[in-house]
Amino acid sequence: MAARKAVRSTANALRWVVYGLTSLIGVVAFLYPFFIPSLTSSGGLAHAVDSPLFLGLLGGFSLVALLLEAQGEATSDAKRTALLGVLVGLNAVLGFLETAIPGPGGFSPTFFLIILGGYVYGGRFGFLLGSLTLFVSALITGGIGPWLPYRMLVAGWIGLGAPLVLALSRAFHAQGTRWELVLLAGYGAVWGLAFGALMDLWFWPFAIGPDTQHWQPGVGLGETLQRFLAFYIATSLIWDAMRAVGTVAMILLFGAPTVRTLRRFARRFFFTVAAGPAAYVAGERAAASGTATREARG
Amino acid sequence: MHPLAWFLWIAAAALVPLATRNPLYLVIDFAVTCVVADAVRGQLPQGPLPAFVSPVRFGLFAVPAGALFNVLTSHVGEAVFLRLPDAIPLIGGPLTVESLVYGAINGLILATLFSAFAVLTLAVPVRDLIAYLPRAFYPIAVVSAIAATFVPSSLRQFQQVREAQAIRGYRMRGLRDWLPLFMPVLIGGLERALQLAEAMTARGFASDESGEQASKRNGGRTVVSQLVLTGGLLCVLAGGVMRLLPQGSAVSLPLLLAGSLATAWVVWRVGSQVRYTRYRRPVWAGIDSAVAVLSVLAVIPLLVLAHDYSPYPRLSPPAFDLRVGIAFLGLLVPGLRGTGPLGSGPLGSGGDRRCPSGHSPELGTIGHSGEQHDHV
Amino acid sequence: MITCERVSFRYPDAAQPALSDVSFTVSEGDFVVVVGPSGAGKSTLLRSLNGLVPHFTGGTFSGRLVVDGFEPVAVGPQRMCRHVGFVFQDPEAQFVMDRVEDEIAFALENAAMAPQEMRSRVEEVLGLLELASLRGRTLATLSGGEKQRVAIAAALALRPRVLVLDEPTSQLDPQSAEDVLTAVARLNVEAGLTIVLAEHRLERVLSFANRVIFVPGGAAPVIAGSPREVVASIALAPPVSKLGKALGWSPLPVTLEEAQPFVAGSLPEILGGVSSGTLTAPIPASDAGHASSATYLVAESLDVAYTGQRVVSDVSLTLSRGEVTVLMGRNGAGKSTLLKSLVGLVRPERGRVRLDGRDITAAPVAEICRDVAYLPQDPNALLFAETVVEELHITLRNHGIALSAAPVPPEVLLGRLGLADKVAAYPRDLSVGERQRVALAAIMVTEPGVLLLDEPTRGLDYEAKARLADLIRQARDARLAVLLVTHDVELAAAVADRVVLMGDGRIVAQGDPYTVLAGSTGFATQIARLFPGAGWLTVEDALKALKP
Repeated sequence: MAARKAVRSTANALRWVVYGLTSLIGVVAFLYPFFIPSLTSSGGLAHAVDSPLFLGLLGGFSLVALLLEAQGEATSDAKRTALLGVLVGLNAVLGFLETAIPGPGGFSPTFFLIILGGYVYGGRFGFLLGSLTLFVSALITGGIGPWLPYRMLVAGWIGLGAPLVLALSRAFHAQGTRWELVLLAGYGAVWGLAFGALMDLWFWPFAIGPDTQHWQPGVGLGETLQRFLAFYIATSLIWDAMRAVGTVAMILLFGAPTVRTLRRFARRFFFTVAAGPAAYVAGERAAASGTATREARG
Repeated sequence: MHPLAWFLWIAAAALVPLATRNPLYLVIDFAVTCVVADAVRGQLPQGPLPAFVSPVRFGLFAVPAGALFNVLTSHVGEAVFLRLPDAIPLIGGPLTVESLVYGAINGLILATLFSAFAVLTLAVPVRDLIAYLPRAFYPIAVVSAIAATFVPSSLRQFQQVREAQAIRGYRMRGLRDWLPLFMPVLIGGLERALQLAEAMTARGFASDESGEQASKRNGGRTVVSQLVLTGGLLCVLAGGVMRLLPQGSAVSLPLLLAGSLATAWVVWRVGSQVRYTRYRRPVWAGIDSAVAVLSVLAVIPLLVLAHDYSPYPRLSPPAFDLRVGIAFLGLLVPGLRGTGPLGSGPLGSGGDRRCPSGHSPELGTIGHSGEQHDHV
Repeated sequence: MITCERVSFRYPDAAQPALSDVSFTVSEGDFVVVVGPSGAGKSTLLRSLNGLVPHFTGGTFSGRLVVDGFEPVAVGPQRMCRHVGFVFQDPEAQFVMDRVEDEIAFALENAAMAPQEMRSRVEEVLGLLELASLRGRTLATLSGGEKQRVAIAAALALRPRVLVLDEPTSQLDPQSAEDVLTAVARLNVEAGLTIVLAEHRLERVLSFANRVIFVPGGAAPVIAGSPREVVASIALAPPVSKLGKALGWSPLPVTLEEAQPFVAGSLPEILGGVSSGTLTAPIPASDAGHASSATYLVAESLDVAYTGQRVVSDVSLTLSRGEVTVLMGRNGAGKSTLLKSLVGLVRPERGRVRLDGRDITAAPVAEICRDVAYLPQDPNALLFAETVVEELHITLRNHGIALSAAPVPPEVLLGRLGLADKVAAYPRDLSVGERQRVALAAIMVTEPGVLLLDEPTRGLDYEAKARLADLIRQARDARLAVLLVTHDVELAAAVADRVVLMGDGRIVAQGDPYTVLAGSTGFATQIARLFPGAGWLTVEDALKALKP
């Protein structure tokens, strides 16, 4: 029993190590494009040529590791599997609306459900909800490409981090108050803006191009950042601002009823059958009684 | 065609833009992928997918956009055609033809990647894509299959809800009015998920095997996998950091390799614990071998005779090797089959008509779309 | 095959047990029909047979239940699926994959069956359910009956020896239902499967069954026995049995075939005994009052296309205040589309719709619906509020009507619909019948003059159906013009003042129910088929004539 306990606590500790490492890898991957100029100026042309591939690789590793980590618990039974499948499908449909609604570009209703799903059903669930939403909509609408793992990773992070808001709102005793929604909306705003910036980092090496001629020797982080800023403003800012505003608006307007509905169903989806059936040995007692208890989780 | 043959084809088509910036090769590759995309799309009996953007349209957007961005922000090059006042931040300075061309090539690279992967979406049915996920991700494959199945039905449900709300006087005035559309679909979805879970459990979906009990049973093994995975991630992280250091590149590659091997091992190991068998087995036919061989051959000359191109510092015509160009034409093979708009045209080889599976109600027989089941 | 001894079960957090002290046995090869009102515990009982109860639901289970030599409570649904196949109510909600073959193979893939074996199993069940020609189809393109047959095939792929079906036909139209039930009966006879089937419409299934289990709900004991024994002792009974009970026929008939001998010899005599003039077209007492009622909603030669296809051609229809018009016809006859075109959800290509003289052909849906209440097939699509009464408030708000200015106060309307005690309940927690009435309240709170109902009997049990019939009569008495689209001939016979038959987008017959319904073979009630030519539709009609 003690050994089993030790195994479990080791597994739990390793889980956090995995989160930490993948985040660090992500940071490296995201900062990488800023170093390209200094790399190329120091003669590392070879690096620059394959940098999109390299970024994809780093993103891919993090994604694989986190998927393996998350799927064990988030799909441990038919209920969670079905719940996740249905919410992913629903969110992919919301993604269609994004393309179907003319009007504010960049507004994406998918963030809303990813954030609230992660918030109510837990980080791992949120991670899978985020990354699989992008996976399934890419399958259906033709968004598959080398950028997909990277996108899946970033969308997964949105869901994975959502429980942080829960911790925050607990810390501020904001649960059940209006501030809970405000905190969620703030989280949505941050990601609305960050998502575009992070996606730009992936495309960016394509845009700036790996070319020594392009960079005067000695050009450092400063100009690179400035160019990235230009790139970001040109390609994303308006869209990202729309996305952030849209996500905030959705959370403020629909957040409360959606969270209530998701919580209402949480009890039905997340409980574990314990102890009861074990009391049954075929035909032993005519009126044996087993109890299956449910443990609500929220 | 066999999905694996398609995967090879797409790998070959997508390798070109990652391996060269020579606009001539890029244009050929882009044209070839567009032709194949168009032919494959012509074979789909149903209309284009929702929200499907045609590669040509994407190219028409991406190339000018790339050119515009680059010409405005990069002021390198010798052939200056316009000079914006230096006072304007970022875009002020000389505008050069070189940077214009360079930016257009950037756009072309993106368009070619997009086009190659558009073929994947069009040619390989969603469930086949899902079926080729590694075994370790079986739970994710099931989730994706459920989601993909649920998408069309929830689109129908959206329609139903829209009608149902309309008949109680609902009018779409602003963002707030999405609530009456969204909530019934969400609640219906959650209710449906419960029913689905029940149906899956009734058909023996591993509800007792995985999760709690499995992790108890496999506790030790899980920890080993986790340890190896952690080690692999550490290697990848170190390899990534090393690459950023001027002297680190020699160590970086072995570290990344070690990380990859560790991750691959974990994926294999987790997969070996997943118990399921696959019903569908696509059949590898002659055409698949042909496509596979031609796809590999198509990119070899490019890799061997590597012609990269840069417009800087002074614009020059890109080199062109006929052998590389001709080899690319091998990628056209999947576009020549069938009776799509292209197949019936002058290039048409009059190949057998095959409908992509799942789209043709009248084709109730087995064997279409290259899938077949040997009968006992 | 199944032994159930003193089984009780209580859901978690429930005050009352769902099953209390249930005992019965089922032998191998039996065809068992489980009957009882909604919420009495039929579903719970069926789910305990494969261990879903309590493994899936949680809750406290006691007693002894053995199915095919195993105790479901002990071994759990994952092992029981090889002994018990389970089919659910809604065919769509049980599919994981999108194609017929994949769906059937899903359970086998999960069981890690060898591919050879898997293929032969799939072939076997495709053959058993005559689905071979549909194998490559996507599920979304199948009819309801075909879907349900696929669900049965999928449940049988693991070769269970017991097949449990929980109201498999309640979401289907009569043809599809017949299709599914015939397939089930064949499995029972040809493959020797033990069948346990829950069903509301006894007249559909009693001819196949050799045992009936009646679950009354509450603390009342479960009754199990032969169809005749059980039907004799319960109030729920098919029309012929009701008639038989009233006329003292013995042995009591439970199917049309069993009833015919009682009538066959004396049919001419019965028919001759009553003055033929009134019999061929009896006028219901209530009809006289409505005959001269005012026309209210008029459709003039409508042509309607739906998704590019002409579905309604040249249909003219008049609805009058205080009259119930029943619209019947086979699937795809254009009934639902016609209904939608009346409220503007689908705009007609040609023709006019007039409401009280006003042309509303191009009016906004929201404006039309203030006066024309339309209940769609799936009332769930309407409901999203957190309490019942809020649903009504939402409708009022949509129409810009202040709560104080509501034509009928929401609480009063809910009381009228028998929902007085559910005002604060979460709508989605209610039973099918109650949800439907909430939806009805939500569309009727504007006090409309017309009520359109699309297939309102789906999923309703006898009691809920009787309530619905009462509500329809209430609406008629309140001088509403009611148009009811239904496949349910018994309901049509009970409430119709006028019947309109549609076929292939056109109106093929209309008139009073006695001539239209009794005259057509497809839409005749059980009583009409028992007394062909008599012009009787309901048990009451027959009794009125036979037992003066």
